[in-house]
Amino acid sequence: MSFQPTYKQLFDKQLVDEKQFQQLEAIESGKLISVFYELRTLLYLGVLLLSTGIGILIYENIGSIGHIVSVILIAALCVICFVYTFKKQEGYSRAKLNSPSPYFDYVLLLGCLLFISVLGYLQFLFNILEYVEAMTLVTAVFFFFIAYRLDHLGVLSLAITAFASFWGLSISFQNWYSSDVFASNNLYIIAIVFGLALACTSLILERRNIKAHFTFSYINYCSLLFFVGTDIGLFSMRGSTVWICVLLQLAGAGAIIYYAKNIAKSFLFLVYGVVFGYIAFSYLLTIIIPSGAEILWAYYLLLSCGGFIFFIIKYRNYFKREE
Amino acid sequence: MKICAYNIDSLNNLNVLRKAKQYCKSGMITKEQWTNIQAAYKSDSFSPNIFIRILLFIAAFVALCGVTALLAIPFISIVEDAIFILCILYGIGSFVLLDLIFVKKLKNYKSGVTEMLLYHSVGFTIGGFIGMTDGNIPFSFIVSFLVLSVAAIRYIDFVTTVAAILTAASFLFYILAEIGGWAEKLIPFAFIVFFLGTYFIAKKNKKKSELYLWRNCLEILEVFSLLFIYIGGNYLVVRELSVQMMNMMLEAGHDIPFAIVFYSLTVLVPVVYIFLGVRNKDITLIRIGVIALFFTVFTFKYYYSLGHPEITFTIGGLILTGVAIYLLNYLKIIRNGYTREQLIAEKWTSLNAEAFIISQTMGGNQHHVHTDKGVEFGGGGGFDGGGAGRDF
Repeated sequence: MSFQPTYKQLFDKQLVDEKQFQQLEAIESGKLISVFYELRTLLYLGVLLLSTGIGILIYENIGSIGHIVSVILIAALCVICFVYTFKKQEGYSRAKLNSPSPYFDYVLLLGCLLFISVLGYLQFLFNILEYVEAMTLVTAVFFFFIAYRLDHLGVLSLAITAFASFWGLSISFQNWYSSDVFASNNLYIIAIVFGLALACTSLILERRNIKAHFTFSYINYCSLLFFVGTDIGLFSMRGSTVWICVLLQLAGAGAIIYYAKNIAKSFLFLVYGVVFGYIAFSYLLTIIIPSGAEILWAYYLLLSCGGFIFFIIKYRNYFKREE
Repeated sequence: MKICAYNIDSLNNLNVLRKAKQYCKSGMITKEQWTNIQAAYKSDSFSPNIFIRILLFIAAFVALCGVTALLAIPFISIVEDAIFILCILYGIGSFVLLDLIFVKKLKNYKSGVTEMLLYHSVGFTIGGFIGMTDGNIPFSFIVSFLVLSVAAIRYIDFVTTVAAILTAASFLFYILAEIGGWAEKLIPFAFIVFFLGTYFIAKKNKKKSELYLWRNCLEILEVFSLLFIYIGGNYLVVRELSVQMMNMMLEAGHDIPFAIVFYSLTVLVPVVYIFLGVRNKDITLIRIGVIALFFTVFTFKYYYSLGHPEITFTIGGLILTGVAIYLLNYLKIIRNGYTREQLIAEKWTSLNAEAFIISQTMGGNQHHVHTDKGVEFGGGGGFDGGGAGRDF
């Protein structure tokens, strides 16, 4: 059995006209090649290497260049980046703005990274360790401003990360993996409150139509923080904490499933809700199932997940790809 | 028995619908045409989006853990030999379940459940065979390769395709290393010749209309062949493998045999890839060529480092940024069929995913930048950011 490529099949059945066929054929058969992502990847790597290299270079040559000169140098470069981006992106709008030039995103990113360098450098220079927290807050506020003014999702996530780390939470998978996301004991409470508060704020902003396309990033970070927070409370084995966290996690899972299904139409959030809800529910069962009856667990896993699979397959039309 | 487990007409319709939707999203065909295409191509396959797929994959994993535990409990005290036979039977049994129930009856196609069941059956079948032969290595390689290939071809599966290719490569390495002596020294050249062969086979068959459904598997074979050709001739790989796996002693001032050949191959292969790729408009060759070029720079830096990584970073960054900006300007208009514009929106790329990756590689360690007294300036920790973004 043999099949022609899609564009050919569509043309043979007269579902596309000749002009479209030629266009599609040029692209699909490789007569016309887009290097859109390749060039963007190169640019991204270049910016990453450059900012890292400059950072180390300056750090190592502090003695010979002189502190003030090097701060001024990076600061100047940083200002140039922001002047360029502010010139390119005219005016603020509540709606989504497209990036005005292909370099815009990368210049902005370089500017923000250099901004972090300048701040960190100033701190190193004047050794104002007491104000570390304040510095993070300044970074967060500045990045939020940039993200909203210039409409940049990448800077927004930098801002959220900085804001979270102001509260002592660092959102990063490397930290999560080495299990020091929440270094101190009660940090999970902060994570839960922080996640809830920021999520609510973003929903209010969306309702007022202020950068509605930012909500996805907000909810993504907030729900992860919230659920990891409740999970840590869940496994903390501390009496009433466990119960509160189980209830919170079940409620959160219900809320995000409702949100994913009815409002955001996002399958990613649906996954979060189902997975964390299942964890909380299974945790409840550890209390009900006696410790001698491990075979009940095998039945539970099989029946719950098998049932879930057949539920989804049966109501498959519900889960069809969205248009 | 048919080669492909799925109903191929239904699969073709699914492929057409997906492509046409992409065309519609990127504005290449009108909404009206898209409606007509939907009416002409109906597919009853169940092939949900990536998130539901992940969810079903996890659910199937948990459910299979339950099944395995239930079945294992009665057999736990049986002698060892029988256990392996039971493993094989269990593996084949789940193949049958996958084929008859999930694929034929419920018309699943890459639904998450199919993948999990497939890897489950492959794992138990291969594990059973290997256990039964008591660790006979050549036999294990052959069985693994056969089972993986059947799984890859019958279910058009990419993970087993990669696994089959890696098994073949390891087998080739193993045989030559076992023979020893002259054969051991020929390993790099054997790799180059073998994967040149598979490269041309993949490239030739990718265009055939009978193999249209398997074009992505063949593309994977193409990519891996190119990688292995490069790795086979790479100085760093050859040298380190010679030292570590074959216990070759390298005294100061001495080098591995044919060192000059490997030095030249390390430089020439990426250059040839990129040159041929640009000339023949082969994007796969260009991509692999650029990746290989990065590794070539790394290879030379590894042995001839001047001890100033920061200068390398800065200069490398300048060159990369410069080249990218130059090409972006150069390709403002279409030249020789190359354009900087996005032609068809790829479904997996979204701004949200990009934002997430940026925060994980560049700002993920914000806190450290400030507390480590500025040791990690700039995008500190930027290089250990790989593996991020797994939620997408």
